[in-house]
Amino acid sequence: MLDQFSNFFTILFNLVTDPTNLLVVFGASFIGIIFGSMPGLTATLGIALLTSLTYGFGPDIALLALLGLYVGAIYGGSYPAILINIPGTPAAAATALDGYPLTQKGEGGRALGLTTTASFIGTIIGLLFLVTLSPFIASMALQFTSWEFFLLALFGIVISGTLTSSDFVIKGWIAGLIGLFLATIGRDSLQYFPRYTAGLSELDAGLEIVPVLIGAFGIPQVIRVLSERNSLANTPKLGRILPELSAITRNAKHIVRSSTIGVGVGSVPGIGEDIAGWVSYSTAKNASSPEQQKEFGKGSETAIVSSETANNACIGGALIPLLTLGIPGSPPAAMLLGALLLHGITPGPSIEIDHPDFLLEVTAIMVLASFAMWANGMLLAKQVVKLLTIPAPLFIPVVGILCILGGYALGLSIFNLYILIPVGIASYFLSEMKFPIAPMVIGLVLGGMADESLRRALMLSDGSFLPLFERPVAVILLLVICYFILNQIPAVKAKTKNLFSFWQRKKDV
Amino acid sequence: MNTVLNKITTLLLILMSVIASTADAARPYPVRPISNTVVWSAGGGTDAVNRMVMAEMSKVLKTRINVVNKTGGIAGSIGMNAVLRKRADGYNLVGLSSSNVVAAVNGGWNKRMDVWSPFIVGSSPDVISVSSNSEIKSLDDLVNQFNSSQKPFKAGAGGTGGIHHLYLLELARVSGIDFRFVPYPGSAPSQTAAITGEVEVVITSMAEQAQLIRGGKLRPLAMLHPDSFVLEDVGTIPSAFDKFPELATHLPLSQAIGFAINNEAPKEVKEKLGQAFEQVMKSPAVTEWAKQNYYQLSGKHGEAARKEFAELESFFTWTLQGLGSNKFSPEKFAIPKP
Repeated sequence: MLDQFSNFFTILFNLVTDPTNLLVVFGASFIGIIFGSMPGLTATLGIALLTSLTYGFGPDIALLALLGLYVGAIYGGSYPAILINIPGTPAAAATALDGYPLTQKGEGGRALGLTTTASFIGTIIGLLFLVTLSPFIASMALQFTSWEFFLLALFGIVISGTLTSSDFVIKGWIAGLIGLFLATIGRDSLQYFPRYTAGLSELDAGLEIVPVLIGAFGIPQVIRVLSERNSLANTPKLGRILPELSAITRNAKHIVRSSTIGVGVGSVPGIGEDIAGWVSYSTAKNASSPEQQKEFGKGSETAIVSSETANNACIGGALIPLLTLGIPGSPPAAMLLGALLLHGITPGPSIEIDHPDFLLEVTAIMVLASFAMWANGMLLAKQVVKLLTIPAPLFIPVVGILCILGGYALGLSIFNLYILIPVGIASYFLSEMKFPIAPMVIGLVLGGMADESLRRALMLSDGSFLPLFERPVAVILLLVICYFILNQIPAVKAKTKNLFSFWQRKKDV
Repeated sequence: MNTVLNKITTLLLILMSVIASTADAARPYPVRPISNTVVWSAGGGTDAVNRMVMAEMSKVLKTRINVVNKTGGIAGSIGMNAVLRKRADGYNLVGLSSSNVVAAVNGGWNKRMDVWSPFIVGSSPDVISVSSNSEIKSLDDLVNQFNSSQKPFKAGAGGTGGIHHLYLLELARVSGIDFRFVPYPGSAPSQTAAITGEVEVVITSMAEQAQLIRGGKLRPLAMLHPDSFVLEDVGTIPSAFDKFPELATHLPLSQAIGFAINNEAPKEVKEKLGQAFEQVMKSPAVTEWAKQNYYQLSGKHGEAARKEFAELESFFTWTLQGLGSNKFSPEKFAIPKP
């Protein structure tokens, strides 16, 4: 163990002493933040572009650039979410819930400071798990078969529905179901049967997520701000952006829990940041005192810290199955796998034999990448907050144009705009009727997985639902989902509250 | 509304092409970045080959080549359709494999493979494996267990109608074992399913499985290839052809992984790509990569590659027809019998 540590610091030291490395990692992290914060540019796309660009360099430089960008992009998604309530990625939608209210109070700078430090800590804790527990976590991740994937997807939709509704929870679930419906559009992945494609071959692959994401979050916000002649925020306080260390120590227990959740969710192959933020947000809410719970959705620092730590801890989690089994844990990790293969590094069970110290090297690079992200974030945040001082009638149309461009830029397809604009208009009316939008997007993101996994599971079990109750992880997930749904019925809620207070009392004794 | 939008789009396109052509008129292909759409998932065999070769090609062609994945449909039909719809100017490549030749007869699209001009990089032999926790240690065990229990094995083998699926069907035919095929979006997820125990048997290529076999996650039963295979740290994996010589009537189908351009692309573009491809296939980066990743290199392009794909198409589709697991007859697309 001690050997490992000294080895690790030697690697880290060697990396830091080369100025080229530092330049690369800071540059990549900066580009990553831009990619994460612009609508339509994603971490996956950024890694794809950098993979070809870095091919000519050695694996060290390539990894520095790719991981720097990955960490930066996951963090960057929180900028537009906090400042203008348009999450750049589905993952940042949970951050928008509390980040934007803070901005409206004129505390956007504080929200960004919190996010930056929370993301940094999340990444580092994720790494700790990666280094110390990866074989154990990898074997846990392999407990997930089609049944669990289905339930996990359903869970993500249910909790995002529960958390985002401003009046009735059922409205959140309705939005989630609309998302699930949107996910069925396209040819189904098991039998290739066309569903709701209207004979358009562009719809064969289903609705692209990015145009829907931009349409659903961006367009309503643009219409709302312009039509209500609201300013985006109260005059922001343009002080120094602080790392908000005191807030971090106040929320230490939430940070530990959120990182664990992030690592866990990230390590399950195929899903990642999209769910982690939401799961962590809801657990943080449930674990808080009633007074704190009231703050959730109105600008709670606990909420922001929880969702952002989980998002970034996901990175470490996603790297676990990638490095130990060669199975990418999330879409950006899949791109990363491609990049590693290019450099002759095949991640997998025998990586320790073929490339000893590779895990430590990745960790050292990730540590550098998180520092770069933190430093970039601290410098950038202040400048970004200044954007809010631009009068909304000037600023928001530019945002609108960027949204449209972002939708088109993805695959340079005009068809994306035919999706983006109707979705945007429909979302505007939905949000005017106080239907939350986030569950709809989460429903679309996870719906395909829910549908495919459930049908595959039924195919494997000859149509029987019994295996669902025989698998421990599935049963736990099922119980949690039932708890969330039943808890909305007042009579049941009173009962469970009694149960919990009984438990609390018992603990006190 | 639509026509107005279309007009605006056309106008913009004309404007852009005018700007582009005035800027690049003097320079030969390629003047701008090329994009390569891989129709199988990231991390799979076709994806890895394409990313590696494209990176080398971009050095020779002195332009950037962006590799993206567009999966789905039957046998990659969604990605192939998307690329074929784009202009045949040589800036849109498609990353594909011989598994794509059954797209038409399985109802994925209504084209034949002759719409492409392929560049074949190489292939890796298929291997049938079980989870390392399984009681089954050899092909004999598999047959015996089936004979005593008569319970079908759940089997993963990538997407419907892909080469691995075809191997599964052939093995089922000659061995009499009943396999229940479970489709996954690609080789990597079907291998994961074998490790988690969701399926009992998995067939994918050696290139895709070697890491998991060497790491003790999967146990190889047999090569679905006439020759046995020596894998370092593992030993010799016997050939299934020894036990079932009948496999040789249809197999081996040489799996051809590579990329292609629209066959209507200009002649000079094809020549330029061909020259670059030949140079790349000889480069140490590619040969070393092939050795490390259990690939046998081919290097065919132009007419030779078109001929090979036509043969593969006829072979695959008529084999499927013989097995009765296709949707449309190859006759519908005028595919000749092998």
